[in-house]
Amino acid sequence: MIGTILGHILRFLAMILLQVLVIDHLDVLNGLMVPYLYIFFLLMLPVEMPAWAQLAIGAVTGLVMDFFASTPGMHMSACVVMMYGRLYVLRLLSPREGYEFGSRPTVMRMGFPWYITYAGLLILLHHLWLFFVELHRFDAFFFTFLRAVLSAVFTFALCLLAQFLTSGQERDRR
Amino acid sequence: MRDLFRFLYRIRSTLMFLGWLILSFILLYNGNEHHRAHAISSSNAVVGTIYGWRKDITDYANLKEVNKALADENADWRNRHISTYTPVEGLFARIQDTIHRQEYRVITAKVVNSTWHKPKNQLTLDKGTRAGVHGDMGVIGPDGIVGVVRDASPNFAAVISVLSPEIKTSVQMRRTGHFGLLFWDTNDPLTSSVIDIAKHARVAVGDTVETRGGDGIFPAGIPVGVVESVEDAPGSNYHDITVRLSEDMTRSGFVYVVDDLHRAERDTLQQANER
Repeated sequence: MIGTILGHILRFLAMILLQVLVIDHLDVLNGLMVPYLYIFFLLMLPVEMPAWAQLAIGAVTGLVMDFFASTPGMHMSACVVMMYGRLYVLRLLSPREGYEFGSRPTVMRMGFPWYITYAGLLILLHHLWLFFVELHRFDAFFFTFLRAVLSAVFTFALCLLAQFLTSGQERDRR
Repeated sequence: MRDLFRFLYRIRSTLMFLGWLILSFILLYNGNEHHRAHAISSSNAVVGTIYGWRKDITDYANLKEVNKALADENADWRNRHISTYTPVEGLFARIQDTIHRQEYRVITAKVVNSTWHKPKNQLTLDKGTRAGVHGDMGVIGPDGIVGVVRDASPNFAAVISVLSPEIKTSVQMRRTGHFGLLFWDTNDPLTSSVIDIAKHARVAVGDTVETRGGDGIFPAGIPVGVVESVEDAPGSNYHDITVRLSEDMTRSGFVYVVDDLHRAERDTLQQANER
């Protein structure tokens, strides 16, 4: 249990640092794709976590990102929206007999079709919210939409990569 | 009554969600305004330090370029230095200049973090209030204007980049003196727009745009960019001018924070006048 919590804290630190030190400085096609990998930490939170904790952790994570990006409230709102959506997506995707206790939302555990629905929906929700709040207007709607979708695809790919790179210990632990 | 509580209990996660969302919107709408100090920014000591680590590493990659730019700039200053001028006749010696007084002081700072590909861009500098950097000071680079300080902590400062629609800088055409506002709506890190220049003003491609000064942020005459295109939309009284920024915002090393020494004096006078 302690080990799991420590793992989440380490993942939190690693993802935030990776985001602000490396990924924020990528310039793909002049800003057309801006991946936000830090939400991988939120996607990896335990399935059976109580709703209040999910929302609170989402809010704090977003706030930490806001400090780095000097955008008070922007990442925070996107993360809170995503974590609220996560409650419903998890319920929607739950197996008939419910989740096993301690099951982790990963490709290895849940299978690829489950994961692409789960992560795809949530990343898209987060990115659409974030990009429109960032732009703060609805002209250039389709361009922003395109940016959000392309960035979401990029983020999803990075999430898969992050998962496979850390999968070795995952199997041992089960 | 009990039903009400039961109902509230059932939708508790939605209520909590709305609470967090409202909190984030309060931050979003109160904290993001220009000319207002606020705590959530990269001038935060922890954030600044982390960005500083990164800069320490990435600095090595472009040392050569930075050195060259600094050397060029040194040479430029040296050319203007008093010792390079030989008196034409030996009669006049410069003892004490009482005609000119210093109006601006510059503080050198290193850019530890910057963005240029977002809808609103920002920079973080490694100097803060301890070095005399305060909010609303102008930031210029070797080639032109860079941004305006949003907020400063003891050791760091968060700067709103000129690549952000949050600031409008007062600029003028160097050749004709017509003035307008620099406003970034091009979404391109290399160019920006100049608005509010009336159509009767003659603006040509290649004209230099410079700061107008007098706002207590930038001194007058700091280069901003060169006119790249002038378009006249029918039905508008103003030119649609695109300028190529003279400072390359996608590359940043050292910048200068401009401290207007007479700002307090002018501000009190203007405030007294408004009353």
